[in-house]
Formats: sequence, C-alpha cells, structure tokens
Amino acid sequence: MLGALLYLRLTSLKNQLISRAKRLRQLKYLLGALVGGAYVYFLFFRNFGGASGSRGAARTATTQALAALPSSEALAQTLPLIAAVSALLLLGIVILAWVIPSTTPGLRFTEAEIAFLFPAPISRRALINCKLLSSQFSILFTSLFFTLISNRWTFLGGNALTHAFGWWFVLSTLNLHFTGAALTLSRLVESGVSPLRRRLTVLGGLAVVVGLTVAWVWRDLRAPDAEDFAGVAPFTAYLLGLLDHGVLGALLVPFKFVVGPFLAPDARTFLLSLAPALLVMVAHYSWVLRMETSFEEASLAAAEKRSARLVSVREGKSVFASARTQARPGPFYLSSSGRPELAFLWKNLLSTATYFNLRVLATAAAIILVGSKWFLSGTTPDIRAARVVVGMISLAAGAYVLLLGPHLARQDLRGDMPHADILKTYPLRGWELLLGQILTPVAILTGLTWLCLLGAALTLQPTGRMALLLTPSGQWAIALGIAALTPFVCALQLLILNGATIIFPAWFHSLRAVGPGGGIELMGQRLIFVFGQFIVILTALLPASLAAFALIFATQWLIGATAAIALATLVVLVVLAGEVWCALWWLGERFDRLDVSSELRP
Amino acid sequence: MIEVSGLTKRYGGFTAVRDLSLAVQPGEVLGLVGPNGAGKTSTLRCLAGIIPATAGNVRIAGRDISTDPVAAKRALAFFPDEPRLFDYLTIRQHLNFVARIYGVADHEAIAGPLLEELEIADKADQLPGELSRGMKQKLAIACGLLHRPSVMFFDEPLTGLDPLGIRRMKDSILKRAREGAAVILSSHLLHLLQEVCSHVLILKKGEKIAHGTLSEISAQFANGESGVSLEEIFIRATGGSEH
Repeated sequence: MLGALLYLRLTSLKNQLISRAKRLRQLKYLLGALVGGAYVYFLFFRNFGGASGSRGAARTATTQALAALPSSEALAQTLPLIAAVSALLLLGIVILAWVIPSTTPGLRFTEAEIAFLFPAPISRRALINCKLLSSQFSILFTSLFFTLISNRWTFLGGNALTHAFGWWFVLSTLNLHFTGAALTLSRLVESGVSPLRRRLTVLGGLAVVVGLTVAWVWRDLRAPDAEDFAGVAPFTAYLLGLLDHGVLGALLVPFKFVVGPFLAPDARTFLLSLAPALLVMVAHYSWVLRMETSFEEASLAAAEKRSARLVSVREGKSVFASARTQARPGPFYLSSSGRPELAFLWKNLLSTATYFNLRVLATAAAIILVGSKWFLSGTTPDIRAARVVVGMISLAAGAYVLLLGPHLARQDLRGDMPHADILKTYPLRGWELLLGQILTPVAILTGLTWLCLLGAALTLQPTGRMALLLTPSGQWAIALGIAALTPFVCALQLLILNGATIIFPAWFHSLRAVGPGGGIELMGQRLIFVFGQFIVILTALLPASLAAFALIFATQWLIGATAAIALATLVVLVVLAGEVWCALWWLGERFDRLDVSSELRP
Repeated sequence: MIEVSGLTKRYGGFTAVRDLSLAVQPGEVLGLVGPNGAGKTSTLRCLAGIIPATAGNVRIAGRDISTDPVAAKRALAFFPDEPRLFDYLTIRQHLNFVARIYGVADHEAIAGPLLEELEIADKADQLPGELSRGMKQKLAIACGLLHRPSVMFFDEPLTGLDPLGIRRMKDSILKRAREGAAVILSSHLLHLLQEVCSHVLILKKGEKIAHGTLSEISAQFANGESGVSLEEIFIRATGGSEH
C-alpha cells in the first residue's frame, strides 16, 4: 500500500517537474523563471560562500550594518530564552488546533485521493499512514525553504544541516499533533461533545495554567523593575524565571524537546537533543495510530471546501475571500434605464464586504473629525507627539491604499475575466464595459484614501520653517487637491492592472494558477508585472507632476500659494482625466478585439 | 435573420472552422452536430461575437457582428453549456443587472412570467451557490431571454438537466421559434435534433459535410435504404470517427 502511495507521489513529482520544464519553452514562463530565479538567488544564496569574493560597497554596508547589531556572543546568551519563547509559540499553535475547528476537522486528503483511496480495500490505519507519508513531501520542502531563511540567523549556531533537521522535527511533530487532534475531535463529536463544550474545556484548562502561573509569579517572583530592563542579560534572566519554572515551565518541557535540534548550537548538543525530540514524535505517532475513529465524512467535506476555494482563486478571487451564502439587497436602486456602467458598479459592490458603503464611510469620517478635535485641543507634549504619530500613520496608510490598494481591490475585470465570453455578448462598447468594471475599486479606494487624508490633514500641523511656508489654507489646498486627484490616480492604476489582463491574457491566466501549477516562474511573472506597473504609473504621472510644479513655481508669486496649488490641481486633473480617457478608449478597443478562446489558453 | 458567409476561424496554424456559409430564417431551428473537435463551439462563439472570426461575414438581424457589434448583440442571446453566473447576485438581482445592460424598461413585468415558466420564481432571492445545476441553467436562460432576443444560440443546452428539465428546455426552444426567433443549437444528443430542429448542419474538422432539413439529410445518407436511424446517418456522414 505504502509502495503504491510512494509511486503516486514520486511519479506526480516527476511529471510535474517535466511539465514545468516543458513550459519554459514559452517566453512568459522562461522570463518569469529567470526573474524569479534571480530574485531567489539574491534573497537567499548571494551570501553563500561570499566571504572570499569582493563585493565592494555592498559588502562594506552589510558589515557596518552587522556591526551595529548586538554581538553573536550576546545573542547566544539569549538561546535559553529563545527556546522558551519558541516552546511557548508552539504551545499557542497547539492550543489553536484544539480550539479553532468548529466541527469535525477531518484529515487532509485531496479529492482524487478520496476517490481512489477511500473505496479501496485499505484499513483505516493504513489510510492514516498514507496521509502522514503524503504530508512528508510538503514537510521536507517546507523544511528546506525555512532552512534557507533561518540560515542567516548566525547567532543560533549550528549549520544548514542541523537547521534542516530541526525544522523537520518541528513541522513533523506539529503535523502529527494536528492529525491526532483532528482524530480526537472527531471521536469527541461522535461521543456527543459539542464544539462549545470542547472549546470551554480547552480554554478552561488554559485559564487554570495561566492562573497558576500568575499565582506562582505573585508568590515567588517579584515584579520587573528598572534593573531588569538595564540590558539583554538581566531582562533575559527575568523572562526565563517566568517561563522556566512552575506550571508553565513544566508544560513547556515537551515543546522545548521539539525545538531542541533546531536550536542546538553544535553537533554534540544536536545529537543529545535528538533522543527527547524523537521521544515526543514517537509518542505522537503512537497516539495517532491508536485513534480508531471515523474521519472519512469530515475529510470529504474538507476536501470539497478546499477544492471550491481553489476554483474561486483560479477565477481571480482573493485567497482569503470566503464564499458568502447569504443574499443581500443591492447597494442602491438600479433602474432599468440609464448608463450601463452603473450596473457593473452595482454588481461589483454586491461582491464586496458589506462594510464598504457610504454609511460606514460617513461614520468613520465623523469619528476622525471628533477624535482629531480632541487631539487638537490637547497641548501637552505627549498629545502633540501622539498627534504627529497619528498623522504620519494616516499618511502612510493613505499612500499604502493608493499604491497597493489596486492590487488588492480586484472587483473589476480581473475578477470577471472567467466570464469574459458572457461579457462579450453584452451590447456594450469595450470602454463602457471597462469603465463600469473599474468603478467599484475606484469608489472603495477613493473612500479609504479620503479617510486617511482627512486624518492626516486634521492631525499634522507643520512646525518651524514648514509652518512659515505652509499656511493652514495652503495645507488644506494640498489636502483637497490630493483628494480631488485620488479617483483619477486610482483609475489609472486600475486601468494598468486591467489593461495587463486584456493585453496579456495568457500571462493573467497563468498568474491565477495556484498549488502544483505555481512555482518560481510564476513568482517571477508577478515581479515583472509589479515592476511594469510601477514604470507605467510613473510615466503616466510624470507629465501631470511636471506641469503642476512648473505652474506652482510660476504663479505663486502672483496669486499666492493657495491659489497656485488650486490652479495646479485643476491642470493635473485635466491631464489625468485625459490619460484615463485615452487608456479607457484604447483598452476598450483591445477588449473588443480580444479573442478569449485562443488567448486565455494557458 | 442569421446570415453567415465564408466564416473561417483559425487558432494559429489550426483551422477550427473553414469557409462556413449558412442562413437561418425566423422560426427555424438549426441543429449543429459533429464529432468532438468539429468546430461547433467555435462556430457558435463567432456567431455570437464572443471571438472574432478570422474571415467571413456574420449578420445578426441584418447587422454585421464585426462592424456593428452593439446593435447585433442587442438582438441575440448566447447560452453556454456551463451557466456562467455571478456568485453574489441572487436570481432577481441577475435579472435586474441584465435589464440595465440591455435597457429592458419593463423588466419586472417580463421577469415574473419568465421565472414562473422556468419554475424558479420561488428561488428568486437565492444566490447561485444555493441552486442546483439545473436551476443555474434555468437562471442563465432567464437572463438570456429577458431582452426578448430574436436570435438565439444554444451550446449543448441539455447538459446537466433532469428529464423534466430536458422536456421544458425543448418546449422553451420551440416556443421561441414559433414566436419568430431564429435558433442555432449545438448538441451531441441526436434525439434532441429529431424533436426540436427543423434543419441540421453536420460539421467535421471545421467543414460543412451536410446541411438541410432532417428529411433532406436522411435522403442524402440513407443510400436508398428505408428506416435508417438518425444515429446511423450521423455515423455515415461523419465517417464514424473524429478524424
């Protein structure tokens, strides 16, 4: 039986590698592989064996940066604390495995595995072994990937091999624990224990541990004082006192065994840590094999759910999007007559979260107004500092929404591309359809950016020389100018992303691939897209920005800074509107000519 | 009503449809048949304006689909083999959306009887995720019929329907044809052709093998024998293989 499973896994892996290699004959995958490979090399492998090479300024900069960090010896002293904190983290993960599942979690099988293995003459125990063996393939890959990342953590000691084994121990033990927890939960459900009772039991047990720990600290330990915060060593000692003793200390012991091989600084410690780690793993395996319980039905349901999510992602929806099962009224009344673009706004708003509506936007604006009034009334240094922090955070959030938001708000043609054949039967011009499609993300991103701008404009008050240059009216003129330009900047960015979907539909199709279809070449393709978008948006904004600066410089002496800013905003608005219109028209024509049957084929 | 002349569709070096000409008058139902890969779906997609033809002309209700696509598309409805629905719109909201796209002024007055006819009126406020495969198909049909198209294209219309659904679908197609619509449907189900189609066009490797009424096609391939089944005629016409 295990031989058949090994055959399945190894043959699938071989065929997957062959098919990946074959598709490199297509330019889109070859370019993606080159860019992705270069990215991975510079991220992970550049420093491998780099000690003997000369890398000039970059190497000097790295050395200087490392010199600014605490020494390796100092960090090595913190290893016991790192072990305790890692163990605490594992404990948290394990608790989640017992609390989160709402019903029976089942075991993770694919739909194909269920179709072939469940009706086959295989015992339940053999099926569990199949599942565990199957998991080992992804665990081995993940261990290697994590090793690439953790190899930079030189303060840990050890080497790539001990780290790889260490990760394997951690991930394999966690996998065994998840499997055992899933089977135990299935048995609990079978015996009539409700999810609520189970959660209360787990959380109650946790509360007892926390309570006992607090009581112990209260009795035997003192509260931290200034000396504990004087340096790394005293602070480490204090935290270790908290984590290494009492009930919590005892509870963390098996978890420390699990992370032991990974944190071993040398070969001897590594070998010594193997026995306890293996003991925990064998105990888990024994527990899993003893759990003779029905898991097939729950596994089937879980596989169907995963499959539906996969289909959803391939259709261009977010990985995190959940399938809504409740109908809800339209965001506004949609009459039968009028511009057809509004029908797309109406439809796409229905596909977003319910909180993206005008009422929530107005409430958020009111909260910002009231909150900033309280902020502005405060004159203490603390309040002033907090005001600056809030203002800067608002600005950063606004920039984030404006620049990265279009990648996340995908309620447009990118989401509807799987319906392209139906969209093309609509009696609409390409530009009408495209305009309708981008209206929803433009509305959402504009609303969010305006909120951030409002927060920044109300809390940020220029000081010193800036206060002389930027009068309150000038400050408001800038804020209102940015607010007026926001929808056009959003529209331009969305047109670039939607345009990429129309101009390179085959690339778009491959980028939607997830799971076994993904890989380094798709990562490279995404990098190419992001870089391309960055270049195009800069090119699009350049003429408008130059015109604005020239106009402000030339007119502020005559009409004042505020009026000059307003005039420049108007000019930029006209330039951006022109660019949006040209892009809409050109991309609309391209959509009209798009051959969905041939170009969407991967 | 549907006029096609010299339609050719190529994908790179592969020709899916070669120099196809046909005409379907109001009230006629043309059955498009052929082995897998014969070019049926490519033909329907070219006729509906979903994909551009490589060569040839297609006129829908007197309008050229390539030079006047908006006017041509106002007159047609395309029904794919798999219903393509929006996950977050209920049945009623789907109809509302389509009404705005096509500018159907009195859509509520049309939608009510349509939903009754298709027997999904009681599900009007449900999302596609809550509907069975057959009901989703019915919703796709309701969306297509809402603007009262005079030209209809069905790609494998009976896929996934239960026996009662199949009966209703046949009745629905015939009803629209009687009301004056020109219909083209592609199907592998030969009994559907016998019951619904007034004309048949047999495609093989993108080329027209035969075109005419059922009796004309039977006469062409029966070789003087009597009582030859449509299945046998299809096998004789296509040579019994895809190649």
